[in-house]
Amino acid sequence: MMTTQRSPIDPGPVDVIVVGAGYAGLTCARALVDAGRSVVVLEARDRVGGRVFTETLPSGVPVDQGGQWVGPGQEHFASLIDETGCTTFPTWVAGEALELRDGLLHRYEGLVPTSDKDGSADTVATLLELDLLAQEVSPVEPWSHPDADRLDRQTFAQWIDATVETPIARALVTTACQAVFGAEPEELSMLFVLSYAHSGGSMSSLIRTSGGAQERRIHQGAQAPALALAGMLGRRVVLSSPVVDIDHGRSGATVSVAGAHPRQFHAGRVVVAAPPSVTGRIGFSPALPGDRMQLIQRTPMGSVTKIHAVYERPFWREMGLNGQLVADRGALRSVFDDSPDDAGVGILVGFVAGSEDRRMEGLGVEGRRSHLLGELASAFGPDAAHPLEFVEQRWSSEAFSGGGPVAGMGPGVLTAVGPALRRPVGVVHWAGTETAEAWSGYIDGAISSGIRAADEVLAALVAPAGTGGS
Amino acid sequence: MATDAEIFEAYGDWKSRGNANPRLVRMLRGWDRSVHLVASDTGSEFTLEVRACVLGDLVSGRQGPADLIVTASSEDFADLFWGDLNPSVKYQNGEIVLAGSSEDVMRLDALSMVAFLDQ
Repeated sequence: MMTTQRSPIDPGPVDVIVVGAGYAGLTCARALVDAGRSVVVLEARDRVGGRVFTETLPSGVPVDQGGQWVGPGQEHFASLIDETGCTTFPTWVAGEALELRDGLLHRYEGLVPTSDKDGSADTVATLLELDLLAQEVSPVEPWSHPDADRLDRQTFAQWIDATVETPIARALVTTACQAVFGAEPEELSMLFVLSYAHSGGSMSSLIRTSGGAQERRIHQGAQAPALALAGMLGRRVVLSSPVVDIDHGRSGATVSVAGAHPRQFHAGRVVVAAPPSVTGRIGFSPALPGDRMQLIQRTPMGSVTKIHAVYERPFWREMGLNGQLVADRGALRSVFDDSPDDAGVGILVGFVAGSEDRRMEGLGVEGRRSHLLGELASAFGPDAAHPLEFVEQRWSSEAFSGGGPVAGMGPGVLTAVGPALRRPVGVVHWAGTETAEAWSGYIDGAISSGIRAADEVLAALVAPAGTGGS
Repeated sequence: MATDAEIFEAYGDWKSRGNANPRLVRMLRGWDRSVHLVASDTGSEFTLEVRACVLGDLVSGRQGPADLIVTASSEDFADLFWGDLNPSVKYQNGEIVLAGSSEDVMRLDALSMVAFLDQ
């Protein structure tokens, strides 16, 4: 299935080495190749796609174990989907959503559960307040906000406690935070939350299906465009090659990989396209500047597990349900209908996020399976307890992601060391969705960050193609 | 279809409930706007003004320049003001169309939702 070569190759020195073959790295490499530069992409895993991974289950059903949606305003991803011949279809929304609150099920339509009028009105008011605040915070330079220090000293939880009036709205906003960031409100700086929301338009657009970040899915799976990009890059993509050291100087860099074929690559410039904390696995020589080192250690990945339960058919649709669930407690707080477009089978996708995800670690695979199926059954009925297939993808135990869906920042990080996120260190440049100026945390942001890093490198390589060693 | 009189009556009810709702009043902070309503089926047009956190009276016709234009069927307007329809579902289906800046659209969406929930 993989179109890239896996045999050891020694291409000799190149203009640019890209570390990481997720959407950021692949897009960056493609832009550099298009500009006539020689490139090698070094990928630690035995596949491309990074946090986007479409896995075909034993029954032959493909499921997206990582990033999967595309929504309005995500033009970079949309055009790549088009360009690679992939097609999209709307996430299933017909029918009512379920709210599980205080152990009781309620049906609702629209963005916000409506079972408790006061709690719902408070939730709407809270989202509006968040959206209005977010409009004022630059997603590119959040630290430039006149009130940045105060906003960055506050956690999202402190803001919720001070602003949100009802326990119901507090629980809903917390559930939204877990789903969006894989983190608890007390782990995130308010400035970070606002900047992140603005980078995707608003908090409301991040949590919407129709009209928001979860609007459409890709028939071929969300990894397909990445596989197509890797196909275009061919032998330039080297899999199963974790980068362990980067020796960098004024004239270029030497990048050492471990794995089955340990060796060194040489280039004029390096683009590291990985989450900040994952770049901390690499030994840089000379050491990185202090602000970058601090950033790496203070930008942890979220915790998220994605589960898929496959059924003979999407039976919940027959009950007038659209497969969406929002819950105020339990491990599984958000669920969507993830059935294929032809509904040949029914699939529910669920998220276990934040502290719930960490709590589930000790249960083991079987323990989690029976626990989560029990939760699905309490929402969707006894049929939900008996899927044809059940898979979990625990991003926290993925060696080269360390968690998901995105890295988050606690208080005081953005204002102190935020600028180190994108600032190149000599010949080393940074890409990855965490560095994106729009749709940070999303596939679209990964793509635009790759293009931005390629532009930086091309501007730095002012000399004619071929310098930098080749 | 709803008559203009029915829309005026429903709006009057919505306005007094809205102005008595402290949460809604807070959401109007710093948001002085002229809103035009256009009934797509009857062709009737209305203007309402929001000034200093107070929803003003509804008047006939499009008065002055609009910050925000709402287009819907006359019946949807009446139902919306009576609190009989969930506006976010109508926006989602494109049956109610809001034209304005993203902030204004965001505000009105939330305001109408809170007014709906205030039943």
